[in-house]
Amino acid sequence: MPDFETTSFGRISYQPEWAIEFPSGLPGFEDRRRFAAVKFEESAPLVFLQSLEDPALCFITLPVLAVDPQYRLEVSGEDLGQLGLAPGKQPCIGTDVLCLTVIAIRESGPTANLLAPIVVNLRNLMAVQAVAPESEYSLQHVLLPEEAPVCS
Amino acid sequence: MSRRAGETILIGDDIEIVITHIGRSRVKVGIRAPRETLVIAREVKLVRDENLAAAVTTPPAALFNLVARLQPASGSGTVCRVPQPPHSSLQSPRR
Repeated sequence: MPDFETTSFGRISYQPEWAIEFPSGLPGFEDRRRFAAVKFEESAPLVFLQSLEDPALCFITLPVLAVDPQYRLEVSGEDLGQLGLAPGKQPCIGTDVLCLTVIAIRESGPTANLLAPIVVNLRNLMAVQAVAPESEYSLQHVLLPEEAPVCS
Repeated sequence: MSRRAGETILIGDDIEIVITHIGRSRVKVGIRAPRETLVIAREVKLVRDENLAAAVTTPPAALFNLVARLQPASGSGTVCRVPQPPHSSLQSPRR
């Protein structure tokens, strides 16, 4: 099992067949193609998308349904092609694809990018960041404290 | 300015925009620009800026602060050191 040194988590080991492949990278990181989904029990449901090419590159993500249980995924024909999915049919979150929203930590608090979720085909682990030009979802959806489960 | 398919718009000396195809609801344009000029759709630029802001250069402590704010630790605190296969580890969240 290969090891990879990361800035955020130290050394991680991963199974190569679990690596997530972005054929076109992500906007702003076009040359970063391979990532590992890192989860910690203590930080569930957060998923850290750690680049396997750049030790310092990591995205904090959440399953999109954890942020919006009613989230409607719309993947363009081009993106469906990149994922190796049939055109004309929207994939189902959870059974066909994993859908993650990228979290940004701002001074005003964390926000989630619901406009362009990361979509991973669960069958082949090919992934895209699905930019939906006509979507009404927010690029910076505020994760309100009230939305987080709170222990009394 | 109104253009037909095949016609061109010039911006300055070195940017050329050709209307290559006009469909029912979409227009295909070809853009010729210097290599150093970034040519992307507006929404991709927005997502790009958002990704650059989101890419973590934050030390893990700050990450786990966020975690504590989103969901107080359940107490187990065991670290899964190995990245989980998404198909087995990432279920829809249950509250």
